[in-house]
Amino acid sequence: MRVVVAEDLALLRDGLIRLLGAHGFDVVAAVDNGPDLVRALLEDPPDVAVVDVRLPPTHTDEGIRAALRAREEVDGLPVLVLSQYVERLYARELLADGRGGIGYLLKDRVSDVGDFIEAVRRVAGGGTALDPMVVAKLMDSRRRALPLDRLTPREREVLGHMAQGRSNAAIASAMVVTEKAVGKHTNNIFAKLGLQPSDDDNRRVLAVLAYLDGWGA
Amino acid sequence: MIPPWQWPLAARFGLAVALGAATWLVWAATGVDEFWPRWVWFGLATVLAAEQLLRWVLRVPAGRRRWLALDGAVCALIAVADIAIWLLSGRGLFWPVFTILGLSIVFGAHAFIVNRRPDDRERVLTERVDTLTRTRRRAVESQATELKRVERDLHDGAQARLVSLGLVLGMAQELIHRDPDAAAAMVGEARTTAISALDDLRTVMHSIQPPVLSDRGLADAVRALALDLPVPVDINGAPPPDLPVPVETAAYFAIAECLANTVKHSDATTATVTYSPTPHASPIPHALRIEVADDGGGGASPARGTGLHGITQRLESLDGDLRVTSPEGGPTRVTITIPLSP
Repeated sequence: MRVVVAEDLALLRDGLIRLLGAHGFDVVAAVDNGPDLVRALLEDPPDVAVVDVRLPPTHTDEGIRAALRAREEVDGLPVLVLSQYVERLYARELLADGRGGIGYLLKDRVSDVGDFIEAVRRVAGGGTALDPMVVAKLMDSRRRALPLDRLTPREREVLGHMAQGRSNAAIASAMVVTEKAVGKHTNNIFAKLGLQPSDDDNRRVLAVLAYLDGWGA
Repeated sequence: MIPPWQWPLAARFGLAVALGAATWLVWAATGVDEFWPRWVWFGLATVLAAEQLLRWVLRVPAGRRRWLALDGAVCALIAVADIAIWLLSGRGLFWPVFTILGLSIVFGAHAFIVNRRPDDRERVLTERVDTLTRTRRRAVESQATELKRVERDLHDGAQARLVSLGLVLGMAQELIHRDPDAAAAMVGEARTTAISALDDLRTVMHSIQPPVLSDRGLADAVRALALDLPVPVDINGAPPPDLPVPVETAAYFAIAECLANTVKHSDATTATVTYSPTPHASPIPHALRIEVADDGGGGASPARGTGLHGITQRLESLDGDLRVTSPEGGPTRVTITIPLSP
């Protein structure tokens, strides 16, 4: 699987290259700034890009903007964004096109190598991987907004797992219930959020977006 | 060779006495009736006195007071010189009274002008200096307190965790051959500690300057904040673009504090943040005005909590202010104003 890595700190860049290389990824380009990243992504689109949010020249949210630009040109190009901090605002922007193939994780997560590699593969396959910290607030949310508040606590929990990119089978084992029960919950969630039965993956992304918006799709 | 006006006082005084004595000797040698050296002595004394007065005047701080001192010194010198001349020239009608009267009028008028009530502009400036002195001291104090807090947070948080991380890794290294399972468990523990250290660092960094604020500015930072709050927040309008960083940061922390109070104390079901252009009638021109309101129970006051008080102080150092209207029973409205041009 071909990967482009964008990270301006040499120490972390080398670490990522080593980590991905050791797990069978082919790192085709490693860049340290936004313009180079856009060029690398557009010239020869990889299977997935692992991108740091803060890159030169602006040292702000260069990585997110470069990722969104590349996705405009190359439809649904899978991008996994890494950051020292996570914001729902950015998660929402990344997912806004509803096409999936997006990951948004704290840099800390690379220390859990298995989960991290899993997330890269999932994103490359068109799935999502949102950091648990972005998702955590769903559980304790006192938001009284519609239509999310129509979800039962159990359904919210399922939506939280869904946002992190877990499949129904993975959610079932995390919540210690049957996969069938999870399927029932996800269908209820889709119905309550007004999402028509179509491509299941796409509906999952839209449900996560609804959660990030706090008010519904 | 040092010129005579830079000699110490005693040396210059000595020179004058020597010159006086020399003229006395010349007079004694020539045998003239008229004792003319007294005029030479008068001249020397006048020069010495004038010089001392000038030095005194220069010690007065520059400004209107120094000019008054100079005026007083010149008047006094002329008056004393006149009296001396009257004495030396054989007395008679006390004519210096006219000079002294004239000088008194001149000096009196000058003193009156200097001491009269300060005009409006001066009063405004005085108040401004008072405000600046007060807010500057507070700004420096709160900055020092803030640095101390950051130092303590780093010391007790991330630093302590990194120390324990090094310790656990060291133990794991020792055990790695003897007891690989225990070593693996320790490495796992070390990883958890590293993540906690990162969490601590993130919290400290966020308290100094939230990253979204640096990346995207006030509007998006407030949107990001609103998304994380359990109470829905409506945002109306937009702040002016390209705000100075101190204004942006102060505004962000003020809004964050208001919304935190809403969540913590008010039982509100909804809150609003409204950016509004300053009305032309406002006393502060070109200001950033933000209203944070909620539909909760009211009863908020800057005097009650330390949070709003600290925010008010921070705003004051930017000439801004924070006004709270929060009757018992609600609603609460907080208006934050920060001028944009000095």
